[in-house]
Amino acid sequence: MARTKIVLAGEGGQGVQSVAKILVEAGYEAGKQVLYIPNFGVEQRGGVSIAFCQIADEIIGEPRFAKGDIVIMLSDRAIDRCETYVDENATVVYDSSVCTKKPTCKCKKLIAVDANKIANEDPSLGARVFNIIILGVLLAATNVLAIDDIKNAMELALKKKFDAKPELRTKNHKALEVGMELVKEKASV
Amino acid sequence: MVNKLIKEDTKMFLTGNEVLAYAANAAEAEFMYGYPITPQNEIMHTWCKLLPKMEAGFLQTEDEISAGFSTIGGILAGKRAFTATAGPGNVIMQDAQSMAEMMRIPFVCAVMQRGGPSTATVIYAQQETRLTCFGGNGEGFRVVYSTAGHQDLYDYMIKAFNTAWTYRFPTYVLADGYQGKMREPVMLYDPASRGIKMVPTEKYLLADGKIGVDRKSAHMRNTYNMEEELMEVLEGYQKDYDKMAEEIAEYKEYKADDAEILIIAHGIVARSAVTAIDQLRAKGIKVGLFRPITIRPLAVKPLREAVKRAKQVLFTESANGQLAQMVLEKLYGLQTPYSTLFKMGVGVTGDDIVNKVEAMVKEPATV
Repeated sequence: MARTKIVLAGEGGQGVQSVAKILVEAGYEAGKQVLYIPNFGVEQRGGVSIAFCQIADEIIGEPRFAKGDIVIMLSDRAIDRCETYVDENATVVYDSSVCTKKPTCKCKKLIAVDANKIANEDPSLGARVFNIIILGVLLAATNVLAIDDIKNAMELALKKKFDAKPELRTKNHKALEVGMELVKEKASV
Repeated sequence: MVNKLIKEDTKMFLTGNEVLAYAANAAEAEFMYGYPITPQNEIMHTWCKLLPKMEAGFLQTEDEISAGFSTIGGILAGKRAFTATAGPGNVIMQDAQSMAEMMRIPFVCAVMQRGGPSTATVIYAQQETRLTCFGGNGEGFRVVYSTAGHQDLYDYMIKAFNTAWTYRFPTYVLADGYQGKMREPVMLYDPASRGIKMVPTEKYLLADGKIGVDRKSAHMRNTYNMEEELMEVLEGYQKDYDKMAEEIAEYKEYKADDAEILIIAHGIVARSAVTAIDQLRAKGIKVGLFRPITIRPLAVKPLREAVKRAKQVLFTESANGQLAQMVLEKLYGLQTPYSTLFKMGVGVTGDDIVNKVEAMVKEPATV
């Protein structure tokens, strides 16, 4: 029974829930079973924001799971909160250009990406597509969906904005590919 | 008559709150009254977003006391009205809910449980189980459907309206913040396509026609002078309730026939139990599930039979045994020992249940 369990965690405002929504929408459109739970506190901004996503071939039972297959941590506080979702079978990704520390939990693979730095330093990208780079990272790390599924879901979510400003589409697509490359580079090392 | 939006089978990818708004429309609900509280807000948001197309009504009141009583007002006027709430909102709406019990008003309410007591968390819990079944200063003359995902939310929200208008007891769809906020695929349909006919509403007050000539006077009492007078009425209610219980009590079993360890869980936790059962069965452990769907009234006979067949019982909830308390009372006289896995205000995962059941295999329960 193929089921991929994903935990995506960051600070409120980093776009964690937006990324999760695009990811599960892509899974749904691709005919997979999907289940997504957003998890955040009473604050409108700030605080740790967590998305629990599952993509599977068969009907999903438990809505909340104990351990993720992929756990993405985008801030120090996200590391503190989410190490509990990691076990020795999990792949952990953290943003080394945001976090000031390294996750210390025992895992199968630990991948450091500097998505925030890349987003800010590359003039063809920009801070606002940081989360789309992360989506690319997630796409490559999970390997259950095709890039076209994600591009489709991005169209569904952002078509109006894309049509008004076509350069946004190019920018988002590039961010997605940059994210995927980040994981591939790490995998080949 | 409202405009029904779903005319043919439509598969959608929605949050549970959105599903409930669509379901209320499919059930031909005409009016929603409510006051915002997380995690049920999007029921109201979605209802309002759909309003122009549905030709239905909405009133945001000043608090849940008012939302509850306004709902009653709408129903008395002959509208298929409903409300939704959660947490502290559910607490302060109890006054109106009690009145609905006393006056036999077909009050429909969706409860999206959050952590408690008090404000606690806005996320998730099963801690309003007791409150929803037995809140108010009465005897719990209520029907409570506990759902385990989006298809349930759609199916049972539609059913809740018919149960309420058929038997005239307040009827609840008891879900939680996970179900409200989570997104999963669901099949929406026109109830008529499934042979479901909506029970017509009627004006309980101010009906058409002349009193004494065209119709009897409506006399819906909330106050009684004599102790005995009250008891006589309530005994009648209890009789109606018991008769109804036989007709509407629902449950689901999963691999419970030959189960040596029987898990009793409701709502979304029952789904985690299914995941755990598949994993445990693969290891050769005979475990099954009894999931009450109506947690009030309970399907007592099948429940007792399932428990009698098992060697051990495991109660698991995202609360400190609120369902277990109601169930244990119905198991009086049975000898099957039980153990518990209670996580107050926290989701129960499949792994939690797997670990617990494995521990019960090694060291059986003795209580």
